[in-house]
Amino acid sequence: MTDPLIRLTGITKVLKGQQEPRTILDGVDLTVAAGESVAIVGRSGSGKSTLLSVIGLFDRADSGQYELAGQDISRLPERRAAKLRSSHFGFVFQRFFLLKHLTAAQNVAMALVNGQGWLPRRERRARVLEALDLVGIAHLAKNRPARMSGGEQQRVAIARALVRSPRVLLADEPTGALDTETGALVIDALLAATTRGCGLILVTHDRDHAARMGRILDLDAGVLTERVAA
Amino acid sequence: MRRFSGRFRSSLIIGLQGIRARKLRTLLSMVSLFLGVSAVVVVQAGASIAEKALLADLQLTDGIDGTRIVDMPPEPKAADIVISTLRGRADGVATLAVSAIVGEPGVRPVNEGGSPIDEDWGGGMVCYGDGRCEPDTSNGPEGAAIEVRLTALTGDVRVFRPFTQQSGRWLDFSTMPAMAPHLVLNQEAAKGFDRYRVPAEMRVTGASANLTPQFIGVVDDGDPQPRAYVRLDELTNWLSPASLGNGGAEMRVLLAPSTPVEQVLTTRLRGVGVETYVSTVESRKHRQKELTLMRLIFFSMAGLVLLIGVAGILNVGLATVGERIEEFALRRAVGTPRTLLAGIVLAETLLTGLLTAAAAIGVCVAGLKAVSMLIGDSEPLLHNVQFPWEAGVAGILAGIIAGVLGGFVPALRAAGIPIATVMRA
Repeated sequence: MTDPLIRLTGITKVLKGQQEPRTILDGVDLTVAAGESVAIVGRSGSGKSTLLSVIGLFDRADSGQYELAGQDISRLPERRAAKLRSSHFGFVFQRFFLLKHLTAAQNVAMALVNGQGWLPRRERRARVLEALDLVGIAHLAKNRPARMSGGEQQRVAIARALVRSPRVLLADEPTGALDTETGALVIDALLAATTRGCGLILVTHDRDHAARMGRILDLDAGVLTERVAA
Repeated sequence: MRRFSGRFRSSLIIGLQGIRARKLRTLLSMVSLFLGVSAVVVVQAGASIAEKALLADLQLTDGIDGTRIVDMPPEPKAADIVISTLRGRADGVATLAVSAIVGEPGVRPVNEGGSPIDEDWGGGMVCYGDGRCEPDTSNGPEGAAIEVRLTALTGDVRVFRPFTQQSGRWLDFSTMPAMAPHLVLNQEAAKGFDRYRVPAEMRVTGASANLTPQFIGVVDDGDPQPRAYVRLDELTNWLSPASLGNGGAEMRVLLAPSTPVEQVLTTRLRGVGVETYVSTVESRKHRQKELTLMRLIFFSMAGLVLLIGVAGILNVGLATVGERIEEFALRRAVGTPRTLLAGIVLAETLLTGLLTAAAAIGVCVAGLKAVSMLIGDSEPLLHNVQFPWEAGVAGILAGIIAGVLGGFVPALRAAGIPIATVMRA
């Protein structure tokens, strides 16, 4: 059997605030294989986003082990973490975070012009158009965000996440700001990536979207448990 | 190297995008910085032009830096020695000056004593015991004549004193000496001859006859007194060299640095009992202290104005970073290293600084050209004045320094923005 893409073992994260320390993640174990889709559900404040931050190398766990493609990356310097974020991860957020002064193509290209290697302009443009095409909005490449709907903007954000061909897509409530129908289209676009071998971890409150994932995990008071299919 | 190139290009691309996205802010930063950079450019340009003008004036009157000057009292035997020692040499020139009156015979010149044409040095007054004074008419009545210092040259003195030709031509030392001596006037003498149409007959004390001079050109020699330059051999056709060493004459030798002639000349003069006074022209050194002080004062003022510009760019930079927290957090999320984020902010402020410098230099070049065209004719300092390259360099440096200083703190702040900002948004 090949190594899982992501393996978290005993991940703990304690928030040291002004009052008593609060445990956000309490010995989380999680494995995600290539091409697998996983939904993480839970109440607000249950630690879903914190878990995604740890997986996406935005934040460090206080204890536990984190293996990415068989490599222990529990203690990484920021420089290497930035490199891994660029090469292995794609991020989609609830708010789209598109830069309003840039076109859709330039917003997608942002992930390519990040100081991690240099692509010639022609190659950059080809990859941007390919990513926009994957989410079905190549025809909007020259549009600025203000001239796009919420669903189109989120698909631009997905294209930005996909443009570097990541191994894992991390999506934090990507349909939170969209209506049900548009949200379903966004989930379609995310799931399409898993068919190309990309792992998907989706944090959501929406039961219908969660149900479309391969596995559903419950996070409650920092403890992660797998929901058994009824 | 490849990685550096990628980061450099990335920061430039993103920096330019940032500038394009915030044109008004960039413009406001440029306005606040413009005055500072302009002040530096103007001060540097003014100091360079003033220094060049000052040194050019000093070179005209005193000689080029490094020139050795041998002064000696006027004595007939000294004149003989000087002329014979310097004959045919290019590394030294003797200047022997006497008074000459050009104009009607038997009259007093309009500028008796060789005063500048518009000044009256008051020569020729006779005062009596009862306190009464009246013009001395013993030299004849005042008439159409001008007194000049006639400076005889053994060679081309412009090697040591770079006179600027105003009109006509300079003396030609390669031809046979003419019986009617060729004269090159300085501007003050030319002004006199332009104002008073005097007959061209020249009286020189000790000459065998009155001479008929040929005026061939006008130079600027920096001398306020009317002066005329003549080849020594053309003058000595009518005047013995010993006469050039009589009282009232001036004798000076200009020598190239470290020429052997100096030792030969001073030894020979000392041998006949003539004392010499040797000095070196060091105009720049003598003026350096005051030039440095002048620059320091003006640069301090310009620096203060520049500092205000830096404060402006810093203020706008901090506000911009505050406004772009999400953008920077997102860039970090997609793998942009902290150093590149700092580079993006620095690239923006640097580009703003350089654009401002280019604008300031352009305005100053145009301003100088306009001033030169408008008042260049009445103000010799500004006539055909060129924009000094040092001012351009100073402007670019000021732009870079302002960009780096103004962008440093915002760059640090941008690099420190936590990625989790995008998760909490």
